[in-house]
Amino acid sequence: MFDDVASSSLRVAVAGLSARQNAIANNISNIETPGYQARKVKFEEALSSAVAHGQSPSTVSPSVQNSLEPTRLNGNNVNLDEETLSHIDTTMRYQLTLRALDGKYGLIRDAIKGA
Amino acid sequence: MSTFNAIGTAASGVTVYRKWLDAVSDNIANMDNVSKTSDKAFQARYVVAQEAQDGNGAQVGGIAYGSAEGVLAYEPDNPMADTEGYVRRPDIDLGSQMAQLMMAQRAYQANLSVVDRARESYQAAIQLGKG
Repeated sequence: MFDDVASSSLRVAVAGLSARQNAIANNISNIETPGYQARKVKFEEALSSAVAHGQSPSTVSPSVQNSLEPTRLNGNNVNLDEETLSHIDTTMRYQLTLRALDGKYGLIRDAIKGA
Repeated sequence: MSTFNAIGTAASGVTVYRKWLDAVSDNIANMDNVSKTSDKAFQARYVVAQEAQDGNGAQVGGIAYGSAEGVLAYEPDNPMADTEGYVRRPDIDLGSQMAQLMMAQRAYQANLSVVDRARESYQAAIQLGKG
């Protein structure tokens, strides 16, 4: 009941977006740390290819990579505007995904309650 | 990994940049200090940020000091002047301090707005299942 493709995809998406949110918070708090390289969380491609190939979405876990953007003189490559926009985007996606998940749970709740 | 990780991570950034602001304002407050030529000049302090040990956020890694030599100024009327009329003043450039101040202030604000947006997300997560 809770293991259908839609629910588990949504759960993986929530986990991935939450990891991205933490990575962005970490990047922004290290915006002036010498030698720090921004971290990027990726999961969308792996998730969509798992769904497209009929594999279980729950096998997908978010991957963290260092940004390859050119660094400033102090070896840091955090880009504040990019991080801020990405954070707003991630927050909206996170809320959207939670709402979708809540909708799935709402259906089950209705079924449990009966008429 | 704590439950509301992003807030703690951003808070560590807020702390680092508050200390940075403290250091810069201290430098500016002391930029006109006078000392005897036999003593050290006031040394500017610069916060060096570092990634936190647990990988969540930033911390103050150390302090870099400015020149102790400062600059010699010819002020024979100054009570601190040596026999040749020189005193020692700190070698602090107000322009670069103001630039640092703005930078630390912007970074502080950026971290605070992360707290704000993370709170929004967590609030939505708490509502999950309430129908």
